Amino acid sequence: MAAGRKTIRFTLNGKPVETEIANHHNAVEVLEAFGLFGARESCAQGLCGCCTLLVDGKAVSGCLYLAAFLDGAVVTSVEHLERDGALSPVQEAFIEEGAFQCGFCTPGFVLMVEQLLDRCAAPSEDEIRHYLSGNLCRCATYPQIIQAVQRAAEKRKASAAA
Amino acid sequence: MMSFEIAEPQTLSEALALLDPEDPSVRAIAGGTALMLMMKSGVFRPTRLVSLRKLADAHTRIDARANGELAIGALTPLAALEDAPMVRSRAPVIAETLRTLSNVRVRNVATVGGHLAHADPHMDLPPVLIALRARVAVASRRGTREVAVEDLFAGYYETVLARDELISALIVPAQGERRAAYFKCTTRAADDWPALGVAVAVDGAGSAIREARIVLSAATSKPARLRAAEAILGEGTADAVLARAAEAAAEEADVMADGHGSAAYKRQLVRVYVQRALRRALGAPGVNERAQR
Ligand SMILES: Cc1cc2nc3c(=O)[nH]c(=O)nc-3n(C[C@H](O)[C@H](O)[C@H](O)COP(=O)(O)OP(=O)(O)OC[C@H]3O[C@@H](n4cnc5c(N)ncnc54)[C@H](O)[C@@H]3O)c2cc1C
Ligand code: FES
Ligand code: FES
Repeated sequence: MAAGRKTIRFTLNGKPVETEIANHHNAVEVLEAFGLFGARESCAQGLCGCCTLLVDGKAVSGCLYLAAFLDGAVVTSVEHLERDGALSPVQEAFIEEGAFQCGFCTPGFVLMVEQLLDRCAAPSEDEIRHYLSGNLCRCATYPQIIQAVQRAAEKRKASAAA
Repeated sequence: MMSFEIAEPQTLSEALALLDPEDPSVRAIAGGTALMLMMKSGVFRPTRLVSLRKLADAHTRIDARANGELAIGALTPLAALEDAPMVRSRAPVIAETLRTLSNVRVRNVATVGGHLAHADPHMDLPPVLIALRARVAVASRRGTREVAVEDLFAGYYETVLARDELISALIVPAQGERRAAYFKCTTRAADDWPALGVAVAVDGAGSAIREARIVLSAATSKPARLRAAEAILGEGTADAVLARAAEAAAEEADVMADGHGSAAYKRQLVRVYVQRALRRALGAPGVNERAQR
């Protein structure tokens, strides 16, 4: 293999995959090569959360995550939240609350909110603000995002009770 | 970014063998959060990265030793440190500090060893760990040694570590009666790099202070103890004593002017924040705490 390149194998959205990467690539570039564009590199510095993906169940900034680190990992992108054509409660809540304008930041926020609600089923507004402080929305839909988190928490509670 | 090699050793000794004491373009990579930024901006152009990822299983334990010390593996992610019940009960100031250190995604990936080796003076844990008298275990092919976190930093983004040494663990001694607090002050946005950080730890019950540590970061080229101010606290914890300690701190601090504020402004911040941190540590609500509630 050419110098500075490597083959990696990992689980992508539930399926085993293999691909050749350049050693300097980051995780966003790997997802793009698989036709997944939900994670996008925006600030490129770990600050905005637009490039969020889950690696072994934990949220990371794809822009700062070396592609080689994906080898052997379980990787989930926002595209994997939908099940049999149905959106996740968090995705539905974002739509119902109108928690976006241009939508550029939305995949990152949605993945972070999934993580937050996995950790804490009914977060307070302070906990929501704190947890999402590393995600930026240039359209400033923050009030609607907070409402969407609260609505998503209720939806999850309702579906757990059902 | 240029073409480089990534080595993935399985053990600490294999990793040490892959480092090169002479070649600055060979470096360890742990979480990569700091190195990726340095590579993207071209500040660092590697020829070889020695990934420590495969060592993680053996070096992410947090153990309580019989003497009450906490031994924390160098590859422990900051998020795991933040959540560890043992850290919350034995050194709560560490968990409190981590809450506002960067964001969830960075804390999920960044490691204790990478945090300490990066030596950016704006970082939050170094002053806290100095106040708590923590030390690091350092390994190389020549053997292992321990370095007090206080002595780890040589200057701006510089440590005393040789190029072929790695931090293997962080050791936080039993805190006993020590009470500690950390404040940072950001002058633009809340999540901006701070203009200053102040960590204090006071050892002794009530107003009888056996030892105090006051450590300043961000405003200085490396975290620095403010020893004249520390000495004054031997006189007790009366308001007038705290005010004199803060005055001494502002005088002795070797602050630098930068985009976050002039030297005069930072000196004033030192005066105010040393008092706030001391009050919080001593248990009285600090001004900031009241303001935040
Ligand atoms: C968006 C963003 C915001 C941030 N905000 C904050 C903040 O608010 N407060 C704060 O304190 N910090 C902040 N940081 C800095 C962050 O704490 C560091 O990037 C992180 O701790 C570095 O850890 P790492 O494991 O990713 O290190 P790496 O990037 O992997 O390595 C950093 C350096 O340490 C060396 N190294 C790594 N492991 C070892 C080892 N075991 N022994 C010896 N050398 C080693 C590497 O060779 C490299 O020189 C922020 C970073 C980002 C990206
Ligand atoms: S693009 Fe990665 S955090 Fe902004
Ligand atoms: S909706 Fe436009 S950036 Fe958030």
